[in-house]
Amino acid sequence: MYFPVTQVGSWPRSPALLSALREKRNGRMSVAEFNRTAEDEIRRCVDLQHEAGVDYLVDGELRRDNFYSFITEKVEGTRLMSLAEMLETVEDKAAFEEMLQTLDAPAFSIRNPTCVGKLQRREPLAVDDLKFLRTLTDRPVKVTLPGPYLLTRAMWVTAYSVDAYGDKPVMADDIVSILREELSDLSAAGAEFVQFDEPVLTEVVHSGDDKRRTFM
Amino acid sequence: MNRVVDGFKDQIRIGIHVCRGNWSKREDVLITGDYQPLVDCFSQMKVKQLVLEYATPRAGDLAVVGRNLSDREIGLGVCNPRTDEAESLDFIAGRIREALQFWAPEKIFLNPDCGFGCFANRCVNEEQIAFEKLKAMVAAAKVVRAEVAA
Repeated sequence: MYFPVTQVGSWPRSPALLSALREKRNGRMSVAEFNRTAEDEIRRCVDLQHEAGVDYLVDGELRRDNFYSFITEKVEGTRLMSLAEMLETVEDKAAFEEMLQTLDAPAFSIRNPTCVGKLQRREPLAVDDLKFLRTLTDRPVKVTLPGPYLLTRAMWVTAYSVDAYGDKPVMADDIVSILREELSDLSAAGAEFVQFDEPVLTEVVHSGDDKRRTFM
Repeated sequence: MNRVVDGFKDQIRIGIHVCRGNWSKREDVLITGDYQPLVDCFSQMKVKQLVLEYATPRAGDLAVVGRNLSDREIGLGVCNPRTDEAESLDFIAGRIREALQFWAPEKIFLNPDCGFGCFANRCVNEEQIAFEKLKAMVAAAKVVRAEVAA
């Protein structure tokens, strides 16, 4: 069928889900309890896609803090940091703050997956999401993952990453391995469509001056 | 990217999504510019589908990618995930017809320009509006599908 309709991945979070994400992040809610809330939200998101007539479904990335930071839950050697925390390690704090203001990016609510040690996949990144989504629909589905370039750019924060890797390209090798392991598991689980997100590529080619460098 | 996907292309449809930012509803703080500087990079990337923004003027002309990369599938961005009203059927159908000048119909997928909530605490839309946008894409797909079949 021509022109199948799908999504890029994420769905708006309800107040209940935002509260559950916050409670889990602060250690006040167990993963099992969080998953019950998230799964109710994913069910509603899938129902709406069925009702709208969407052809390739997504789970709305509803378990994720954001589309790349969520890997801190799955990968050893990472720490979730708000941009405000990262500000501590930036040499030119004034410029970083100005960049966030110029971009209208809130420093406390956007979080980064910073590399703080040797990276190793503790558990699959998206295989469980795929399996759950499969229980809710017979239609084909799309799985979304952060791309290797985005992860390399975002995860490397020299002050935290240099001890484990020395240099960014060395860390990138491990990111490539982690994503390959994931593709292999996704393939075994029968994934038909995997989308890698690489939003920073436009930034690289279109940001002439430093103020337009984003936080990712 | 090629190192990541090497060996998987026959098993999984692999796409890459490239946008210009989705953390604010203010169009003026997001990045502007067409995909021209990335055409070579896309050409070398061994991915089947390019999932790109085409619902705002910031993304530039469809021909830039269409003229060079019609061998790939296009995930055509036809809705702005950051606005409060669903796009009209005419707008979306018009974008699909434009894409048909470059791509075979079986290579065109429809999607919004980006997610509706990439950052949990900075979602750029609400559920009801997102739902209306999905319905608008489905309706427009149906119209152009009938045109192509005729």
